[in-house]
Amino acid sequence: MASVKFNDNWVGRLKNEDAEVRDSALDELREFLIRGLSRSLNNHYGNRKFNPEDIVQDALIKILDKIDTFEHRSRFTTWAMTIATRVGISELRRRHCQDLSLEGISGDESLRIELPDTEQQPAGQAMDRQVVLQRLRELIESALSAKQKFAIRGLLEGLPIEVIADRTDSNRNAVYKLVHDARVKLKEGFQQSGMAAEDITAILAGGE
Amino acid sequence: MALSNDQIDSLIGMVTSVASDELDCDGCFGRIAEFAEYHLASKEIPEAMKVVQRHLEQCLCCKDEFNALMKGLEAIDSD
Repeated sequence: MASVKFNDNWVGRLKNEDAEVRDSALDELREFLIRGLSRSLNNHYGNRKFNPEDIVQDALIKILDKIDTFEHRSRFTTWAMTIATRVGISELRRRHCQDLSLEGISGDESLRIELPDTEQQPAGQAMDRQVVLQRLRELIESALSAKQKFAIRGLLEGLPIEVIADRTDSNRNAVYKLVHDARVKLKEGFQQSGMAAEDITAILAGGE
Repeated sequence: MALSNDQIDSLIGMVTSVASDELDCDGCFGRIAEFAEYHLASKEIPEAMKVVQRHLEQCLCCKDEFNALMKGLEAIDSD
């Protein structure tokens, strides 16, 4: 479908010189998005109340702002719904997560690993897991920044990236990159110690 | 507070599964409408679009949004 172009006429109507045509298209799009969001965001994040009309109003501003970037790789309505969905979920997510806290987790302490008690596991498995975790602990201390540790801990605590970004005065994409770089560093560190990803997975699976 | 065993296993999973060609959230968002069309049409995801699938497996935020998007679009289609 990469070569398929979707040629509905939404862009032409929404940018039409005739205000009547524009307004009609806008009303139609608004109604479409409200119908979609009413279904998609209903019961999301603990059945929080939301007003789809407010969300769609914000989404329409973004859609019109980005309309020249639409590449016809999907139907226009699908593209518009991706924007409206992100606007809506971002709002619900902020409300849902505003009470969650990462207070008490400092950057340096946020990925602290306590090594398991080897006496409670079969000797071979426990030792293998011990070696992996010992190396992981060393790599975390030597290769990751405090920000990277904090961001990863936030994800492991179940916080959405967007919320971590809010808490760290960053943005979602920057947090994703921060975490991605940390994952690469840790993986490379393991590889330099002669531990391939598949070996680590097998060791941990064997220890269960 | 130290990581729990489940968190350590999740962290190890994040590390062992990382790929150099992963999309970031912006990259995923830029292709998610096209990706959704394949799902709506029940078509096989082409190789070039599998980076989107892999990002969704790693990023709970983007996956959450994609699931909601599909729920809305499928509901409209079935009206």
